Order: sequence, then structure tokens, then C-alpha cells
Amino acid sequence: MAAFLSLLRRLYLTTYNWILFAGWFQVLFLTLKTLKEPGHAHVYSNIQKPLLFAQTAALLEILHCIVGLVRSPVSTTVPQISSRLYMVWGILYSFPEVQTHPLISSLVISWCIAEIVRYAFYGTKEAFGSAPYLLLWLSYKCRYSTFFVLYPTGIASEIGMIYIALPFMKESGLYSVRMPNKWNFSFSYFYVAIGVIAVYVPGVPHLYNHMLRQRKKTLSKPKEE
Amino acid sequence: MKWHTYRYRHVRGFSIALRYSYTGLSSPFIQSDSLASCCIYPTIRLYNPSKSPPISPITHSINPCISSSKISNFLTYHCFLRYLLIAGNMKVTVTTRSGRELINGGLVLDSSATVADLQEAIHQRIKKYYPSRQRLTLPLQPGSKEKAVVLQSKKSLKEYTNGNSDTLTVVFKDLGPQVSYRTLFFFEYLGPLILYPVFYYFPVYQIFGYKGERVIHPVQTYALYYWCFHYFKRIMETFFVHRFSHATSPLSNVFRNCAYYWTFGCYIAYYVNHPHYTPVSDLQMKIGFGFGSVMQVANLYCHIILRNLRNPSGNGGYQIPKGFLFNIVTCANYTTEIYQWLGFNIATQTVAGYIFLVVAASIMTNWALAKHRRLRRLFDGKEGRPKYPRRWVILPPFL
Repeated sequence: MAAFLSLLRRLYLTTYNWILFAGWFQVLFLTLKTLKEPGHAHVYSNIQKPLLFAQTAALLEILHCIVGLVRSPVSTTVPQISSRLYMVWGILYSFPEVQTHPLISSLVISWCIAEIVRYAFYGTKEAFGSAPYLLLWLSYKCRYSTFFVLYPTGIASEIGMIYIALPFMKESGLYSVRMPNKWNFSFSYFYVAIGVIAVYVPGVPHLYNHMLRQRKKTLSKPKEE
Repeated sequence: MKWHTYRYRHVRGFSIALRYSYTGLSSPFIQSDSLASCCIYPTIRLYNPSKSPPISPITHSINPCISSSKISNFLTYHCFLRYLLIAGNMKVTVTTRSGRELINGGLVLDSSATVADLQEAIHQRIKKYYPSRQRLTLPLQPGSKEKAVVLQSKKSLKEYTNGNSDTLTVVFKDLGPQVSYRTLFFFEYLGPLILYPVFYYFPVYQIFGYKGERVIHPVQTYALYYWCFHYFKRIMETFFVHRFSHATSPLSNVFRNCAYYWTFGCYIAYYVNHPHYTPVSDLQMKIGFGFGSVMQVANLYCHIILRNLRNPSGNGGYQIPKGFLFNIVTCANYTTEIYQWLGFNIATQTVAGYIFLVVAASIMTNWALAKHRRLRRLFDGKEGRPKYPRRWVILPPFL
């Protein structure tokens, strides 16, 4: 029974990871194709559907952590996924005025490379269990070295996009509640966005250092896997 | 209790014993004194022939014309005899969690010494580690799943040695800079007490872009009095009512707790004193503040009951709380606190206030569950202990 469940788990996770790999690969492909032909302003409209699908499907990862299907702690997965969903739904989808901005391309490309490597890595790990040492070492190296470039570009693009969207938030008053009202409550999406940018500032070096430490730890003892 | 400590300072291979005397030789720790004295005099004679032994009360009373080496011989023999005659002492090895010896050579204490004495001795050796910063435990077998036994300061060291009563190994952990609970509570409550009135009295909302005159509703004024009374009461309780079991808390808690209280204080104050604040009906306000005030008084009474549960000398153990609402609910103090905030929110009706209520209630529920479990485990009805009665944990009829 336990062995059957474990097999089921591996099968499910393999499928999940490879489907998402395909999703992100499609996003990357479409982005690059659109960049070549119509240009950066049309990128978003071409990738909207696969991007929304691939990024929202990541919600399942939180479920996996809670249920214990994967070993990652919930406390690191939730902020990561939340920030991505905030970007995709809260900024890109909600404010059409920013959808033609060139920063979207850099943002999406950074995300795609990161996600493709990640899902391929986990997909292989789940499919083959203990992979040959060389393959593991290569995939670790790949994963933990690409972030050197992808983190700065990705984060800079994210902050940039939020900043670009700010005036449109203020103007439209979207997702905001004003006083006076019976419950004496107000919520300003605009100020929250400024808050998010403010949080990125200390958050980024912290995350970066975390990745550095993870990298050092994983690359120094690959034999234990 | 006064006692001697000896610090052995190694200076380029020479051993120089520095003796710090707090009391005269009539202290109960004479044996360590004797043992150390046996070491001092010959040591000095051997390694520092030019230096004379420290002038002690004994030597001084003896004819100073007698040569120093003769005095040393006599004293060594004398002290050795005294050591033999007096009961043994305790050698304590202090290690860190990584296995390294924190104090080279360990410490020598009297066999009747308490953990507090050991902590003081460690503090004397390493000034940085004052006793409240030390966490001393008995060593665990590697791989053992059990929780380490923490040494309690009032207990005698003998209680922690199993049979082999003259040596003891303790594991040391630095708890980091500590702050007394009184200090912690004072600062975390001071914030709301001072910041809330700022939103009421000062033209803060001009900064947020609300120009023009502000109309102040009666409920906002009463809310100010209620809020300030509440935090004033808390500060008074901190100094005059509460008895704390652990004297200190880590310094980092000051920042964490102050952030929580001060941020929520400002968040609620912003909405209640807002120029566009919509007051509730007069009746609702009266019900809210009335109920809340009753609960505040009840809360104070609960705190007084809890204080009287604790022994003044602080030897603590736990007791079953009884009287007033404690007969029905384990943590009646938290219950009254939650209801008190509910009263405030019924009267002021802000989402911010209700968010605070929910967060505070969940934090208190965590504490209440832990306390309830602890009391039920302690008072299990076996071996003559009373059985903990069936009671609600914190909020009848929910939990």
C-alpha cells in the first residue's frame, strides 16, 4: 500500500512538473517569437493565456507543501507564489495600460528561464528518483547559478512594472475602498503597491543571500542526494 | 550567599593565582578556599621565586620577620590539612552545545552549591554572560529524542548529579541579551498610550490630505478615554500586580512586541479618529463601552487572583486557579481581555479594530491552550495530586 502510494505520488509530481515545464516553455517560445516579429508591445497579448495558466497552476505547489507531498516549507513557498500571482493578476492583468511596456518582456523571459530550469529539475528528480551523479550535479549547478543573473533582472523588472502601474492605480481606484462608510474601513491599492516596493528593498538581499547559502550547501555535498 | 572565587590567569606560562575574597575565612566554602590555597602558595614559590605570596589576613598576623618560603610551606600544609578535614566539593565542567569547553578546566564549587551559584561563577569568569542570559542543561545522549533537562536556579547542584556526586557536566547556551519583563511590557504598552492621543489631538490628517476642520463625535472622545485607560491599567498592572515566573525575555522580543502593539495602535487610532469617521448609534456605543468597562474591571480582578496564586518567595510551582471566572474557564484573564476589546469594537465599529481583536484573540488562544494542557498534565489526579477539573479553555462555548 505504501509503495503504491509512493509510486502514485511520483507519477503525479512527474506529470505536474512536466506539464508546467511545457507551459513555461510555450510562454518563452511565444515571447521570443513575438519579440522578433510584431515587437515588444504585442508580447503580453500573445502570452496572456499560457502565462496566466502556468503561473496560477503554481497555487498547487502550496497545496503540495501543506499536504506534505513535497519537502519545501510552506513559509518560503507562499511568499514566492504570492508575489508572482500579485504581478500576474494584480498588475499585468488588471491594468491594460501597462501591457505594452518593454519591461514585460524582460520580466517574462527571466521568469521563463527560471521556471523551465526548475520544473525540468524537479520533473527529472521525481521521474528518475536518484539520478546519476553527473546529471544531478549539472542540474544543481544550472539551477543555482542561473539565479545570479535572473534574480536581478527579474526583480528589477517586477519593481519597474509596479512603478509603471502606480499612476493607473491611483486614477482608477481599482480594488480600493474609500471612507466614509459604515464599517470605517479604507483600503488603498495604490499605497499598498508602494508598500510592496518598499518591502522589496530589504527583501531582495535577504532572498538573494538565502539562494547563495542554498547554493553553497547543495553544491558542496551533492553525493548525499 | 557570599563565596570565594579564584581566577587563574595564565601569563606566559606563569600561574598567578589572584584571590578575590568576598568574606572572611568563616564562609561555608572553606574547602575550595583551602584547596586553592594549597595551590597558590607552592605555585607562586615555584614559578615566581621573586614574588612573595599575596598578603592574606593569616600572613599578616604572623611575625613578618619569618621568611616567605617558610610561611608558604606552613600555609600549604595547613590548608591541605583543612581540605582533608572538610567535606568534598563539586567540580563542574561547562561545555557549549558544540562540545567545546566554555571554561577551561571547569569550575570548582562547594558541594552544597546551587545552580544560581554556578551561574554566578560562570558570570564571574565571563562577564558578558550574566545569569539570566544563561541556559544550563544536562547533556543529552546524541540522537536522543528527549528534551534536555534545564537546570533550575533554586535547586542544588547535587540534585542533578546521578549518584556520582562530585562532578557534573552542564551544557551552556547563551540566550542573548535579556530584558526584564517589566521593561518589555512597559515599552510595548507605552506606544499605544502615547500614539493614539496623537491622532486625536493633533492635525495628523492634514498630512494625509484631509484639509479643513474636523468634527469630533462624542464616541471618538470616549474611545480615547477608554483606550488610554486600558493601556494605563496595563502599565500599572505590570508594575504593581503581575508576578513574573521568568524574570527576563530576549531583547529581540522588545522590537517584535513593540512593532505589534505600536503598529496596531496607530492603525486603529487612524480609523477611529478619522475626519470621515461614521459613528454608530448612541445605544450601540453605550452597550459597547459599558460592557467593555465591566470586562476591564473583571480583567483586573482576574489578574489580582492570579497574583495571589503565586507564592511571594517565588518558589513556584503551578497551582490550580480558582475563584471568580476561573472556576469555569482556565484562562479567564484572556477571556475578559477579549471581551473587553469586543466592547471597544462594538462601540467604535472599525474593521481595523476587529482585525486587531481577531489577531489578539488567536495569540491568546495559543497561550491559553498551552497553559490548559500544562495544568492538565501537572494535575493528573495521581500520586495525591489533585485532578484538574473540567473547564473551558478560553472562550465558552467555543473552546
